[in-house]
Amino acid sequence: MSAFIKPQTPAAWAILGLAVVIVLLGLPLAYMGAELMFLGGSWYYVIIGIAVTAAGVLMAMGRAMGAMLYLAAVGVTWLWAFWEVGFDGWGLLPRVFGPSILAIAVALCLPALRRMENAHSTSVREVA
Amino acid sequence: MSAKSPMLRTLLLGATIIAGTAASVALAQVPPADQPPGNGNATVSPGTPTPPADAFSPPSANAPQAPGVNAANIPDGPPAEPSEATPMVDQVTANPAHDDWPGYGRDDKATRFSPLDQITPANIGHLKRAFIYHTGSKPGPGQTNKWAAETTPIKVGDGLYMCSALNDMMRIDPATGKEIWHFHANEKYESIPYTAACKAVVYYTSSTVPEGEHCHHRILEATLDERLIEVDSEDGKVCEGFGWHGMVNLMKGMGESVPGFVAETAPPPIVNGAIITNQEILDGQRRWAPSGVIRGYDAETGRFLWAWDVNRPHEHGEPKEGEHYSRGTPNSWAAMIGDNALGLVYVPTGNSAADYYSAMRSPEENKVSSAVVAIDVKTGEPRWVFQTVHKDVWDYDIGSQPTLMDFTKPDGSTVPALIMPTKRGQTFVLDRRTGDPVLPVEERPAPSPGMVPGDTRSPTQPWSVGMPRLGFAPLKESDMWGMSPIDQLYCRLKYRRAHYVGEFTPPSIDKPWLEYPGYNGGSDWGSVAYDEKTGILIANWNNTPMYDQLVSRKKADKLGLMPVDDPNFKPGGGGAEGAGAMAETPYGIVVSPFWDEYTGMMCNRPPYGMITAIDMHTQKVLWQHPLGSARANGPFGLPTHLPLTIGTPNNGGPVITAGGLIFVAATTDNMIHAFDIHTGKEVWNDVLPGGGQATPMTYEYKGKQYVAIMAGGHHFMMTPVTDDLVVYALDNVN
Repeated sequence: MSAFIKPQTPAAWAILGLAVVIVLLGLPLAYMGAELMFLGGSWYYVIIGIAVTAAGVLMAMGRAMGAMLYLAAVGVTWLWAFWEVGFDGWGLLPRVFGPSILAIAVALCLPALRRMENAHSTSVREVA
Repeated sequence: MSAKSPMLRTLLLGATIIAGTAASVALAQVPPADQPPGNGNATVSPGTPTPPADAFSPPSANAPQAPGVNAANIPDGPPAEPSEATPMVDQVTANPAHDDWPGYGRDDKATRFSPLDQITPANIGHLKRAFIYHTGSKPGPGQTNKWAAETTPIKVGDGLYMCSALNDMMRIDPATGKEIWHFHANEKYESIPYTAACKAVVYYTSSTVPEGEHCHHRILEATLDERLIEVDSEDGKVCEGFGWHGMVNLMKGMGESVPGFVAETAPPPIVNGAIITNQEILDGQRRWAPSGVIRGYDAETGRFLWAWDVNRPHEHGEPKEGEHYSRGTPNSWAAMIGDNALGLVYVPTGNSAADYYSAMRSPEENKVSSAVVAIDVKTGEPRWVFQTVHKDVWDYDIGSQPTLMDFTKPDGSTVPALIMPTKRGQTFVLDRRTGDPVLPVEERPAPSPGMVPGDTRSPTQPWSVGMPRLGFAPLKESDMWGMSPIDQLYCRLKYRRAHYVGEFTPPSIDKPWLEYPGYNGGSDWGSVAYDEKTGILIANWNNTPMYDQLVSRKKADKLGLMPVDDPNFKPGGGGAEGAGAMAETPYGIVVSPFWDEYTGMMCNRPPYGMITAIDMHTQKVLWQHPLGSARANGPFGLPTHLPLTIGTPNNGGPVITAGGLIFVAATTDNMIHAFDIHTGKEVWNDVLPGGGQATPMTYEYKGKQYVAIMAGGHHFMMTPVTDDLVVYALDNVN
């Protein structure tokens, strides 16, 4: 059995779609972030890229932990952004705006993910 | 990552779009250009097809000019000896009438200050369009858009005079925009250099033709196809007494050339009877491009007076038969300014040909490039030189017209001074008599010796430490920007992949280098405005870094870079201001904005354009803020329609009025803006039909004040091109 969810409800489709988007955002962050690190630049991107990619994969597997990981990454991003540019609006914009919009979507998915996880563990118990 | 796979590229682009939909944020439009090739371009890897050998074998500089280079087929006659100008009467710009705007910078000092005060911050809400006049010059079918009219009309008495982008001249009724006469210059498309521009015409009053006779008052222009033309101000017909049927051929003595290589875009000043000409030579073509010679011609007759030719410094006559002015010398394309009292013309110079490689320049060239050169208008001898960049390899040629002022020293004495804005954002204030700095200038260490074998950089560069800098601190990785973390990261990578050690980072071959400030300024050709009464100086400027790389000759051939006079040259393949062949040097040059080429957004964080008010009594900034909104710009070249003042790149100068207002267009939001000069608050704006890349002007006619702006657009700034002169007036004044 595949580790990834097989969506049958609109909520599950939305979660899978969101997870794919998050992975697509995470991969280039990790890849280019690694190059940036090797060139002597910021380490933030490679670390957050790996975290976000993992978050997306976990969400695609129906794990609420994935959503929590993404939200944590966005939380770290806010702290990092304040550290790097302070309260400068133009500076904060690329750093936090897009990720935070996605974070809202992820947060909205969290209850559904929890339900899926519960249903999954229930069915596993029943089978056992 | 220079050999990034298409898949990754797609992934990156896709992800950027996804992220971008969440953050639809504005960005300045910047022009497209070839991207620097990245690491390791100095060698061509084995296995790639053999590049063609350098196809360019330069024509002899002594070769006769091909048909069409002397556009009007003006017979030249024998080489002329130096002579002196016919004495001049006082000109209208010496003491402009209250209602007039008689010259490009309004007056002999190019203050861009008007004493008109009908329009004020209080009533500016009533400022509405009075009329639009169409010059008739814009790209035709099948023509590449090379248009940017950049025109400022002049107004003398009952006439509004201007030129079109292709040098037609016209007189317009100042109240209605009705055309009174139209002089057809019959200029060919091929004659357009980098840009079809005509900044202004010049009003000249004759000292020999009596009042009331034809050509007592004349309109003079210098054209893209290298002619001086004088017409009568009343009927627009050529002045037969000037040159050959009203024209002078400025290609005489220039040697081999092709149409579009050499051009005039700025109004030639007339100083003590001498018309002074400079010329724009297409950048980046070849080391031995046509000469940057400065010449004087008699304003009455068009007779040759003298030449100042950098590598023939003591020969002021025209070159002998079969010879030519020294090639590849620094060219000057900015509007110059004259000084009748001191008998000088101040020439803001550019760079020797092949801007990014200096090893082949003569010591004479190195002394006068990217400098202000004061030339005696009687003899053509330079009297002093002040250099703003030593051994310039960044295209920091001076684009601004100098503005003259009387500078009061702390001890109360007055110095006739000259304000020289530069692309570096360093504004130099010099004594017009000697060229000595009035405000302190420091020679500061600069990165040296550089990274190009045999081409060492200057160990120091001049900084005008007494004037506020029109620029920001050096870029840091954290200054990179974007719509999302991904494009921001891409820009951080570009930043780290390039050489960058701050201002004057030397050119490099192995990888790109960051040029900051970029070659669009700081201050470019828009120049500054100065109110002598209050001592307030207004400057609008750019904050747009460049991403450049020298490429080996083989690589340049592979990229298809060739000079404009190469027989294989095709318009659009290589060119000016962007990538260039720099033929006859070891390297070509690839120049691009420092941007994310996928989204078309600049890599550095906004603002990209600023406006600053400086008190010249104290040399302190009174106010400074971003100039231009995000409405017409955005990612992927899409307008955001957001009224956010992000600060856009801008080209075109400001105007100050006694009504307490500043008018400036220039920005890529296609608007004209008015600011309260005391607070810096934007009190009015209007959306123009095209880009307002020109300096506005203001005049009064029959008791009504008008504000005129050429909304001609600009191909490089990617703003809409029109042939519209838009004129405003208060709708509650009759």
